[in-house]
Amino acid sequence: MKMQKALALGIAAVIAISLAGCSSDDPSTDPNGSATGPVELTVSGWSLSTTPEFQVLADAFMAENQDIKVVIKEYDAADYETLMLTDMSAGTAPDIITIKQAKFTSLWVQGGQLLDVSDVVAGLGPEVSGSSSYVVDGASYAVAYRQDHWVLFYNKDLFDQAGVAYPDGTWTWDDYATAAKALSAALGQGVFGTYEHSWQSTLQGFANTQSPGANPSLVLNGEDYGYMKPYYERVLDLQASGAQESYANLTTNKLTYQGQFGKQFAAMLPMGSWYVATLTSQQASGDADGFAWGIAPIPQYDSSTTGLDKMPVTFGDPTGFAINKNIDSAKVDAAKKWLDFVASEKAGVELAKIGIVSSVSTSAVTEAYFAMPGIATDDLSKFAMSAHKTGPENPVSLNIQEIQSILNEAHSAIMSESGSVDSELAIARDKIKLILS
Amino acid sequence: MSEVVAEAALVEGKTQAGVRYRAKDKTPRSRRSKLRLRNTLLGWSFIAPNFIGFALLTLLPILALFYVSFTDWNAFGQANWIGLDNFRRLFTKEPNFEIALKNTLYYTVLHVPLTMAASLGLAILLNRKLKGVTFFRTAAFFPYICSIVAVAVVWNALFHPEYGPINEVLRFIGIDDPPRWTVSKEWAMPAVVIVGTWREMGYYMLLYLAGLQTIPREQYEAASLDGASSWQQFLYVTWPGLRPQTFFIAVMLTIGSMKVFDLVLVMTDGGPGTATLVLSQLIWNKSFKETGQFGYASSIAVVLFVICLVFTLVQFFVNKRNQK
Repeated sequence: MKMQKALALGIAAVIAISLAGCSSDDPSTDPNGSATGPVELTVSGWSLSTTPEFQVLADAFMAENQDIKVVIKEYDAADYETLMLTDMSAGTAPDIITIKQAKFTSLWVQGGQLLDVSDVVAGLGPEVSGSSSYVVDGASYAVAYRQDHWVLFYNKDLFDQAGVAYPDGTWTWDDYATAAKALSAALGQGVFGTYEHSWQSTLQGFANTQSPGANPSLVLNGEDYGYMKPYYERVLDLQASGAQESYANLTTNKLTYQGQFGKQFAAMLPMGSWYVATLTSQQASGDADGFAWGIAPIPQYDSSTTGLDKMPVTFGDPTGFAINKNIDSAKVDAAKKWLDFVASEKAGVELAKIGIVSSVSTSAVTEAYFAMPGIATDDLSKFAMSAHKTGPENPVSLNIQEIQSILNEAHSAIMSESGSVDSELAIARDKIKLILS
Repeated sequence: MSEVVAEAALVEGKTQAGVRYRAKDKTPRSRRSKLRLRNTLLGWSFIAPNFIGFALLTLLPILALFYVSFTDWNAFGQANWIGLDNFRRLFTKEPNFEIALKNTLYYTVLHVPLTMAASLGLAILLNRKLKGVTFFRTAAFFPYICSIVAVAVVWNALFHPEYGPINEVLRFIGIDDPPRWTVSKEWAMPAVVIVGTWREMGYYMLLYLAGLQTIPREQYEAASLDGASSWQQFLYVTWPGLRPQTFFIAVMLTIGSMKVFDLVLVMTDGGPGTATLVLSQLIWNKSFKETGQFGYASSIAVVLFVICLVFTLVQFFVNKRNQK
C-alpha cells in the first residue's frame, strides 16, 4: 500500500513537473491591461559587446524619457532571424523588433507580426531616409535608424609602399582590377591587392544595382542573370592572377574580412559602411594594425557614373526598428516614441559619435561622424560617405529569400570554380523560373 | 458459482462460518488482480519519466508533423488544411528536391558500407590482447565525442586544395592533380563522407567489439583444428556470429545517414552549388532559413520519414530471410 502511494505521488510529481513548463505566469502584466509605474520596453539586439549602438540609443532615449525603461534583449547575430522567427511563433518576441535584414520585412508582415507604423513614418522629415524599404502594400512597418551603403576601403600605407595611385573617385571596376593586380605584384609576400568576402552580395549586389537597365526587380523576375557575368569574370580573373585571396582559401580557412584588411593582408576592401566603426575601434584596441586608410566610392560599371561631379551607384539596406503587433496596448505610445526618437537628429549625432551612419542626414550628424577619433577625414572619404545613389540590396518581396538562396548556390559554384559562369547562371535562372511559375 | 453461494449465505445472515467461507474463496482472485494492478503500476512508473518526456518532446511533435505537412502553416498564423498541395509543390516545383534526395542517397550509399567496414576492421584489430589496447580503443572512440564544429574546421584545413596536408601527401605519392575536395562539386560529398566515417566508426566499433566478445572461443578452436585459414574463420565464424550487431548497425547507420545534417552544414553548407545539399538541410532552409514555411518543410520531413521507414523494413525483411 505504502509502495502504491509513493508511486502515485511520484507519477503525479513527474506529470506536474512536465506540465509546469507549459504554464505562463507573467507577473509584470497588469490584469486590466494598463501598465503601472514606469513602462518597460524590450528591444532586440545582437552581439552587444561589439555592437554598442543599441545601448547608446537606449541611454539617450531614457535620458529624455524618464518614465520609460529600455531593456535590450540579446540575440546571436548570425542566427538572428531564425531565433526571432522562433520567438515570434512562440509569442515571446520583444516589444521592439529590430529589422537586421530588410528582406525579412515581407515575411514578418505577412505573418502578422509587425504593427503598421505609417503614422510615425509620415511624421518623419525629409532628412530621414531608408524607411521606404519597409513598405509592404502601401503601409510602413518600420523606421530606419541606420542606412549603410557599400564603399571601397583602402590602405594608404600599402598603396604608398607599392607606389600605386590612390583611388580618386573615377574608378570603374576595370580600374580597380588593374590597381589590385599592380598592388599584388608590388607588395608580394602574401599581401593581396584586394579582398572580396565570400558573400554573394560582394558581387551580385553591384551587378543588381549598377548594370545597364538595373532596377530593384531585376533580380526578382527570373528572366536572365547573364548581366552578372562581367562581374564574375573580373573577379575570377583577379582570383586566378593572385590579386585576391581565392574563394577556396577563404571558405576552407574561414577568413574574416576584418582580419584580412585590419591586419594588412589586403590593400583594398569593398565593404559596407558599418566597417568604419569596427575598423576605428579595432585600431584603437590593437586588434587591427595602426595604418592610414581612406574610403573611396565603390567602383562603377562604366565611366558614366564616375567622378566627383556624379553620383556613384552602390547598394545597401537600412537597419530599422518595428513594433511587435502583439505588444501590450499600454506600451504602444512608448514604442512609437522610441521609433520617433531613433530617427531624430539627436539620435543621429549619438550614433555618428560611435561611427555609425545614421539614417538622418543633417550637417550636425555629418560633423559628429567625421569628428570621431581615428576616422578618415580626407575629401574623397567625405564624398564617398555622403554622395551616393543607393539601391536596395534586397527588393521587398515574399520570394526574395528563396531567390537569393538559389543565386547563392550559383555564387558558391562559380567562385569555387566548380562550375562555369554561363551554366551556373542558367541553372539559377531555370530554378527561379520554376519557383515563380 | 461459489460466489453465488456465498452471496446467498450473506443475505440469509448465516453463521460466521459462511462469511469466512466467502472470504476464503475470494482471496486468491482479488489478490491476483491486486498484484496485477500493482505490477502494472510499477511497470508504468518505471517507464513514466522517460515515456512522458518522449511523448511530450518526440511523439507528439512527430504526430503533429504529419498533420502540419498537409497545412500551409508558416510559423505565425493559422494552419489551414491544403490537402496534398505541399507534396504536389515538392514534386513538381521544387528545383532542389531531386538534387537533395540524390545527394542524401549518395551519402548513404557511400557512408554506410564504409563506416561498417572501418568499424568492423577496428574492432577486430582491437579485440586482441595487445599492450595499451584500452588507449587505442579510447582513441578510436574519441572523434565521436568531439565537437562537430571543431572537427569541421580542422578537417576543412586538412582538405585545403593547395596547402592541405591531405593533398600534400597525395602529391608526394605522385598524384599531380589531387581532388579539390570541399571546393569541388565532384569531391565535396566524398570529403564529407570521409569525415562522417572518421567520426562515427569509433562508436560502431564499440558495438562490434561487444559482439566479438560473445562469439565462443571454442568455435575458433574447432575451425582451426579443421584447418580453416584466418580468412575462412572470419567468413564462417566471425561474420555469422556478428549478424545481430551487423543488422542493428546497418539500420542505425542508414537512418543516421539519411538524416545527416550538422556535418554538412558546418563543413560545406550544402555547397559548392548544391553538391552537398541534403534533405535535412532542405527542410532547414525551407522552414527556418528562408520563408518560415513550416507546413511545406514538414512535407519534406514526411518524405524523409517514409524513405527511412522503407529502408528499415527492407533491412528487417532481409535479416529475417537470412535467419531462416
